[in-house]
Amino acid sequence: MTTKFKDMLYPVAFAVGLILIWEAVVRLFDIPLYLLPAPTDIARVIDGELLRNMGVTLYEAVLGFLLANVLGFLTAILFVHSRPAEKGIFPLAIALKTTPVVALAPLLVIWLGTGYWSKVAASMIICFFPILVNSVKGLKAVEHEAWELFSAYKGTKAEIFWKLRLPTSLPYVLSALKISSSLAIVGAIVGEFVGSNKGLGYLVLLSSYHLDTPVMFSAIAAAAVAGLILFGIIASVEKRVIFWQKVDEA
Amino acid sequence: MAAIRSLAEPARDRAAGPNSNSNSNSNSSPSLHTNAISIQDCSLTFGSVRVLNQVSLDIQSGEFMSILGPSGCGKSTLLRLILGLLSPDRGGAIVHHVPREEIGIVFQKPVLMPWQTAIQNIELPLSIGPQRAKQSKAERREKAEWSLELVGLTDFRNHFPQQLSGGMQQRIAIARALAANPSILLMDEPFGALDEFTREKLNIELLRLWANPDTGLNTVVMVTHSIQESVLMSDRIVMMSPRPAKVQDIVHVPLSHPREAEMQEHPEFLSTVREIRKQVKAL
Repeated sequence: MTTKFKDMLYPVAFAVGLILIWEAVVRLFDIPLYLLPAPTDIARVIDGELLRNMGVTLYEAVLGFLLANVLGFLTAILFVHSRPAEKGIFPLAIALKTTPVVALAPLLVIWLGTGYWSKVAASMIICFFPILVNSVKGLKAVEHEAWELFSAYKGTKAEIFWKLRLPTSLPYVLSALKISSSLAIVGAIVGEFVGSNKGLGYLVLLSSYHLDTPVMFSAIAAAAVAGLILFGIIASVEKRVIFWQKVDEA
Repeated sequence: MAAIRSLAEPARDRAAGPNSNSNSNSNSSPSLHTNAISIQDCSLTFGSVRVLNQVSLDIQSGEFMSILGPSGCGKSTLLRLILGLLSPDRGGAIVHHVPREEIGIVFQKPVLMPWQTAIQNIELPLSIGPQRAKQSKAERREKAEWSLELVGLTDFRNHFPQQLSGGMQQRIAIARALAANPSILLMDEPFGALDEFTREKLNIELLRLWANPDTGLNTVVMVTHSIQESVLMSDRIVMMSPRPAKVQDIVHVPLSHPREAEMQEHPEFLSTVREIRKQVKAL
């Protein structure tokens, strides 16, 4: 517990130090506000408006994240049970992955409008690939002998899935969730850049038009915090679900 | 359960009576033996590689049999044929004289589920397949507890596999096999990954379990590449030739039951080891 607290203390102390130096440098050299606002200038513009926009982005990101992961995991289950499906669809999924979501975002806005759904879709596209690849890998990671054990005792396909494949895949699934938890925010913000009237992406864009750098900084910080929140939630879920990987470290 | 044991009775007597099988070397009483499993003319080819070459072998009810051979010669493949995980090439047959669900299996690796405790792991074979419907949850737990006690790990029932030593993990694997009450136990180099001390201890422990009348277990088929281990434990040693494997010879071990680790200094032990070693060289 104390070591954990100490581990937390180091980055916090470091960040506080950086912020103090930043504040001092801005004041000392009289750097113009539009170029680099001091931390206190940024803190001054944090308001309900910012939080509301952050809520919007989080909502889009979480929805895209959830839908993509459910869809991706189900697709992975399909792949491990049907070779034709895997052979046919996997290359397409890779093609989708190599297409930059930034290039797709304007199309998504044309198709889905400037509301939530174009952002949710952008977030989904970016989250889909990690979960698909990791789930396929995880569902196939079953030891050959474990499979033989289940077969020797005449376990059914369903039993092999629920009692062997699924738990075996969980560490892979959770690590994909961690990766995509931060990507989800990227997707939502990219979607907002292209066409929207709310969200952190919109706020960043708008403040750049007005050269309102403090607001821009506050929006960037909020995006980082949103990513951290999602990541933190997934990391704590992981610790609880994949408890057996921690046992030997204790 | 009674039906399972009926075949085992003659063997049980022998396992219990120390010197009663000292004549096994002379092969004078084949008619007394009932076969548990007959392997008849089994060949196995993977692609263009022939792994087994016309293997015929009768596993007798009540015996402790070792299958000895160099690594990668197809010994494990033979076990998988018996288990039904693989089928022999055309012309070969495996005849099970006991029901298939009476066959238990222990692999070289413990193959425990890391997300389950020791007791939950032992319950596994009882909670899948046809066994699942046969008993209630409480009965399953009771059997698992009994099995855990047999291997002396009751205190570790709620430990996860990663918290146990390699030897303990393998004992859990043995307990898991015993929980399903097998009359035949197939073991694929069960102690191959363990250190010498643990290995010898588990060798003797396994023999005790085999002789223990509380378990339905009466026949053990153990694949090993250790000559010493095979001589210490078995009644008969099946020597396999390198790939494509066939039965090279069957050696009877002239040692009495119950076996002790100290028997490894007996002249009979040493002479049997010497005999086998000579044959291995000739291969």
